[in-house]
Amino acid sequence: MNNGIYGIEIAWLDAVIRLHIIVGLMTVVVMGLIYVERKILARFQQRLGPTRTGPAGLLQSVADGLKLVGKEDLRPRNADPWTFELAPYMVFIPVFLGFVIVPFAFGMQVRILELGLIYFVATSSLGIIGWVMAGWGSDNRYAMIGGMRAAAQGISYELPLVLSLISVAMVSQSFNLNDIVLSQSTYPNLLWQPLVLVIFIIAGLAELNRTPFDIPVGESEVVGGPFVEYSGIRWSFFFLAEYAALFIMGLIFAAVFMGGWAWPLGEELGRGWQILLVTVKTSLFIFLIFWIRASVPRLRIDQLMAFSWKILLPLTFVQVLINGAVLVYDAPLWILTITGLVGIVVLVRLIERAVRPSPAVNSEVVSVGNEGAP
Amino acid sequence: MRGIVKSLATTMSTFIRGPVTRGYPSKHRELPERDRAFPLLLWDKDIDEPFCTGCHACERACPVECMTVIMKDNPNHESQDGNSKRRKIVDEFWIDYGRCMRCNICVEVCNFEAIAMNNTWSGHETSVYDRADLVMDLPQLMAQSKSDEIQEWVAD
Repeated sequence: MNNGIYGIEIAWLDAVIRLHIIVGLMTVVVMGLIYVERKILARFQQRLGPTRTGPAGLLQSVADGLKLVGKEDLRPRNADPWTFELAPYMVFIPVFLGFVIVPFAFGMQVRILELGLIYFVATSSLGIIGWVMAGWGSDNRYAMIGGMRAAAQGISYELPLVLSLISVAMVSQSFNLNDIVLSQSTYPNLLWQPLVLVIFIIAGLAELNRTPFDIPVGESEVVGGPFVEYSGIRWSFFFLAEYAALFIMGLIFAAVFMGGWAWPLGEELGRGWQILLVTVKTSLFIFLIFWIRASVPRLRIDQLMAFSWKILLPLTFVQVLINGAVLVYDAPLWILTITGLVGIVVLVRLIERAVRPSPAVNSEVVSVGNEGAP
Repeated sequence: MRGIVKSLATTMSTFIRGPVTRGYPSKHRELPERDRAFPLLLWDKDIDEPFCTGCHACERACPVECMTVIMKDNPNHESQDGNSKRRKIVDEFWIDYGRCMRCNICVEVCNFEAIAMNNTWSGHETSVYDRADLVMDLPQLMAQSKSDEIQEWVAD
């Protein structure tokens, strides 16, 4: 499957060329995503968004990038030099590593790995180290709190994310992303795993640190979290990593749940159509995330942790067990659909129970101090 | 949970409705006919001279004293073999837009309907770098009426 690009058969040279293509693609996509996010978010708030730079504000990201590159690269006097300066790369590199396994179309990826999904979750969770480094190295209390929050959130939501991907891999009978996509050419996985889809989106939101799970960078609480002390090019690295992670999560969503380039038109499609399909599916996920960002306020840290450990994790475990039972006894797959839908109902009921105010808090307001009044 | 769904529905409805922002400096909203910016002098197209006779009525009525008027004998009067019925006519006219408070009193006291409030965007976008540039002289006050830039309601 790993054919050489442009007929180049030297493995490492081929990989280097592919990675360079990815670098270019990623940079363009990230700039586009920043522009699109600002436009879409503006539209959600009935504003116009960027309009002044270039036609319809299209050059806004370029202008932002130039401004960031031109800014002074500051480092606080008490900051730990190595930790502080290496942290942006530690955030960015794991995200970039994820691009190695992402299938853009049939035969269009850097490498097909047999344990592609495992590789993806393994590399993406490395980014937490960079966040903690940024928080620790800045010598700033806000940054420290932000870094700790990032670590807590990242580790907690890693588990539901991994388990949701594992339960999909069980249905597809493979960890190889290419095989997962191929196995969905007739029915996409979201049909068999609706509950896991919901959990993946929630855990993905948390992994990407996007609203409503953006507590590590919450401006109103920790004024930007680990980024407080960063400026210029290093800060833009964090930004690049954030949007690259969004892009890659969208691609994984498209490949794992929506059938990538294979569904719904079969795998014998032309390459252009395949890329278009993947683009549409990825955009769907990204739009959903922007939509949620525009709608839902930020959670509290304890609510966030409780949600992960008490609700999402048990549900994914149950889903994995059901998957195992169905697959071992060769039961029809529609049982999984039904259990998945039941699972969504249970999830909704659990969230409702969790957010219901306790009656003691809501009791009638007692007037104090009026008893003795004449 | 119901709250989350509701908020998603709300944002989607605003998304569909589209932006309410207007791109102001590049796109101008249409002004109402009776919009009141700064006072202008009107041009009598039939005789090709200003309506204003320089009678000082507006100058005297102006509460902020932003006007200065100088009157002269009309060289175009019938007695001088001209075609105008105006014996006197305005010679010089200054209005300090930096002082004017747009009270409309000058328009109301004018006996010849020679002065009117500008009802176009040019009356609102008057920013200059020097305060002295806000003192308008006769040709500047006449230009709008001469080139028909003001809207119908003022011209009548």
